Amino acid sequence: MKPCLNFGDVVEVGRPRLEEMERVGNMYPNGDSVEACVAFTRQVGLVEGTVVQTYGIAAASTRKAEELSDVAEVWRATSQFCQSALEVLSKLKDKYPFCGTPQLYDVVLDYKLAADKRYRGAMEEAECQKMDFPKGLLPELS
Amino acid sequence: MSEDGLPKGVVTRTELAVLASLFDRFEFAFDPPSISAKEAESEFDNYVRKLFDERVIPVHPRLSFPLFRCKIKSACRAFLRKNPPS
Repeated sequence: MKPCLNFGDVVEVGRPRLEEMERVGNMYPNGDSVEACVAFTRQVGLVEGTVVQTYGIAAASTRKAEELSDVAEVWRATSQFCQSALEVLSKLKDKYPFCGTPQLYDVVLDYKLAADKRYRGAMEEAECQKMDFPKGLLPELS
Repeated sequence: MSEDGLPKGVVTRTELAVLASLFDRFEFAFDPPSISAKEAESEFDNYVRKLFDERVIPVHPRLSFPLFRCKIKSACRAFLRKNPPS
């Protein structure tokens, strides 16, 4: 069977995980009870795994990409996914302050900033391709 | 000319290989906030700056550093596609 997932599909696979975290977070009136915190902490772990995995797939796919536009698109989608996670977490981190939520917020923010930086880098490289550059500065590769 | 018959360039193929290895360690890091990734990026930046100051400026005084760095990054991508890390 041929692999048939593109990066957009990978991101979409992760979205239900964010929706589930939001649903579980909203199930309880507050995060004070052990039951609520245990349930929400589990969601925190699952979302962290999803964000880290999505970022890793983005990194692996951009290493193979030939077009800078494809690289930029992967990082743009990764950043958007992280942003979606941050929006859910920002609504819940005060409700569940002792269930790993603030820590997860910081982790996701780090990954979003890393994706943003790589997106900007790819866009800058694409612009550089249009500029004159002296021949003979860099070795020829083939 | 290098041993493989290709023009050497001001930046050599060996130097580009070192830069590509550093680039690989931060640009494609699975854990971008890690110390390893940050150290690789810092080393990459220092190396590019050194090459620019010592080798490029003397022959191309009007070339900007941001453009040189940008072209080095693209060359690293191309190098890694042709020579994927094992």
